Amino acid sequence: MSVREYLMPRSVPEAVALLERHGPELLVMAGGTVVMPLINEGISLPERVMSLRHAGMDHLEKRGDVLAIGAAARLSQLLAQDAVPLLSEAARHTASWSIRNMGTIGGNLFTPPPGGDVAVALLALDAQLRLAGPHGERVLPLADFYTGFMTTAMAPDELLVEITVPLATRETAFLKFGRKHANTPAVVTVAVALARREGQVGAARIALGAAGPHPIRVRSAEALLVGTALDAAVIGRAAAAAVDECQPFTDGIATEWYRRRMVGVFVCRALESL
Amino acid sequence: MASTIVTFELGDREVEVMVKPMTTLQAVLRYQLGCTSVKEGCRQGGCGSCTVLVDGELVMSCLLPVEEVAGRHVATLETTTPGEGVDPLQQAFLDHGAFQCGYCTPGMLMASKALLDRDPRPTRETITDALAGNYCRCTGYQPIVEAVEAAARAGLGEGAPSR
Repeated sequence: MSVREYLMPRSVPEAVALLERHGPELLVMAGGTVVMPLINEGISLPERVMSLRHAGMDHLEKRGDVLAIGAAARLSQLLAQDAVPLLSEAARHTASWSIRNMGTIGGNLFTPPPGGDVAVALLALDAQLRLAGPHGERVLPLADFYTGFMTTAMAPDELLVEITVPLATRETAFLKFGRKHANTPAVVTVAVALARREGQVGAARIALGAAGPHPIRVRSAEALLVGTALDAAVIGRAAAAAVDECQPFTDGIATEWYRRRMVGVFVCRALESL
Repeated sequence: MASTIVTFELGDREVEVMVKPMTTLQAVLRYQLGCTSVKEGCRQGGCGSCTVLVDGELVMSCLLPVEEVAGRHVATLETTTPGEGVDPLQQAFLDHGAFQCGYCTPGMLMASKALLDRDPRPTRETITDALAGNYCRCTGYQPIVEAVEAAARAGLGEGAPSR
């Protein structure tokens, strides 16, 4: 253990100031469920680590027409809320009880695939991210957040402070397929959110986990749904489009070949459930 | 950076430990405070053998820097076990042969206890969900789930959580 200092800022401005002072070498940690294993194994050898647990960003509350989620709110808090059912469903299928008591919703966005199931649900719900940096705050749609494997549009001197999710009513489905029943990395995760008007699909979102370098939306499949009555033929075409557009990978859980086929199966099942 | 002193409640006593920054709660409990029920299993939050309760909440102590429990209450199997004999949940594990090597047992008991404290009448599904973060590599999960079911049937989850 080579850590020289464990910093526990008591507010967001204090956390931002510490990040500015110590620079990108400062390892930022919230629940520790991703970072601690790396430190315990000696894969990550930081000199300084900053905990976000006490920085006053662990709220989860309705605010006007959004659900406001502090970046350091825990997965167990998400499981306990019922304002956005898709999010409690996603939390229920994430990790185990003790890990949900520790892991945070903000941290889930930084969990490399095949982890990050909650991020998939947030992506389907058009979540917005509030980022704080030395020059103030800005809001970034989650859809514009990821730039590649383990890379994001967040600047090195910024912190994720809050995630907001519209409370607007949508039809939603969340399916996670793993090799075990629970506490398992995903072969593929599918989150769908759509709105129908007089039987016709308006806006549609289909987000996938473990099917790309980060949680992705399959926009070609989404576009095929708009204006339709979501019949079996449309669902089949959308699933085929998702299979074409996704970029799965091979790891110890599943092969790229298998994941791609399961994307088709589970996009189909998710849409059929609506 | 020099060591710091961290104070917290362990069961019914206050403890004070001197630690290097980011020493895990697991290491402190096992190696400094002698709570050998807290195993050093995978150190990845994957196996559940270091499971303890912090302020009554189930956590993996290998993922928690001990600084985070300053001023809080920690319960391990040592602190929840009665001074003499075993508690009814432990007895149910004995009656059902819910272990062979025993390595996972403390974690299983802590998770089961946390479940019964929260939900005195869990379904089989609730039990398997509650134990999903705790791995057993020898006996199989059936007798463990049966032991928790039996303990719940005997009306054990009721009453104030023990410390």
